[in-house]
Amino acid sequence: MERNQLHRQVALMRKSLFDQWLLQGYLDDQFIQLEELQDDANPNFVEEVVTLFYKDSSRLLVNIDQALEKKPLDFTKLDGYMHQFKGSSSSIGAKKVKAECTQFHDYCRAGNAEG
Amino acid sequence: MLFRNKMELKPQVSDTPSQHQQQQKQEQREKHFHVLAVDDSETDRKILEKILSVSSCQVTCVDSGDKALEYLGLVDANHQDSASPSQSERSQEDGLKVNLIMTDYCMPGMTGYDLLKRVKGSSWKEVPVVIMSSENEPSRINKCLEGGAEDFLLKPVQLSDVKKLQPRLLKSFDQSCTNLPDIDPMTTDNSKSNNNATKRKALSPEPSERRPKMKELTVL
Repeated sequence: MERNQLHRQVALMRKSLFDQWLLQGYLDDQFIQLEELQDDANPNFVEEVVTLFYKDSSRLLVNIDQALEKKPLDFTKLDGYMHQFKGSSSSIGAKKVKAECTQFHDYCRAGNAEG
Repeated sequence: MLFRNKMELKPQVSDTPSQHQQQQKQEQREKHFHVLAVDDSETDRKILEKILSVSSCQVTCVDSGDKALEYLGLVDANHQDSASPSQSERSQEDGLKVNLIMTDYCMPGMTGYDLLKRVKGSSWKEVPVVIMSSENEPSRINKCLEGGAEDFLLKPVQLSDVKKLQPRLLKSFDQSCTNLPDIDPMTTDNSKSNNNATKRKALSPEPSERRPKMKELTVL
């Protein structure tokens, strides 16, 4: 019984945390979709996807940093990385990250026009 | 916990043997529906794979159009354009069955559209190809549909998107499964017919009834 109680408590905590993030606009409906895909057969699905996302995005961020060091800036390349980053943020429901990417994308397009 | 177990034990269909048989065939058919998923993003591949396996599909994931072509036997060692048809036919003869290809549009190297054209110009041309993209661009969508795409899905792809596709796809899958007796009274054409127009017209209005398994999942 104790174990069940603990499980329930963890579930409640997770729910409050994600609810907060949802309210604050960090996560959107897509994240809920992912949670609904999780089941007893794959209880760690969401965790695995988020881990993958962090792996993907840290690699992309390194690439972006390196690209930002180059002179002149290669906007097409930067835009490409951003597009990928935006794609995976959108897939996990990272709403704010996705919004920042869109902003970056606009800067890139403006940069391209100038250059 | 107990409640959930109860749900699983409870029979989903009525007692008549023919309906039980139908459900068995349903499950058999669903287990063999093989989807080739193509996406360069590992995150997206994982999510798509989950969506498809939750929908009872068998899934193979590859990370590029080139790998997809390789899988289908459409690229030979010299990477020649449209490899000898016998190679891909051999794959098919060896029993390789792909019932659906789902591909991302934006990929480095070969785009989803390029892959679509290659598939449609090959011996795998009857296999429906669904293209996914984060960009809601009408010209892109039209280009893909005109290029022979079965459908175009906006990312992020959700379970409901795949569920919407399933009735249409399972219908033609049924027709091509010659060992499954015809359970749909609406089907009148022979098994070889893969005409898109026929598929659309014959869209069955009651697919949800035939899929107790799906319902079980949505009730989460």
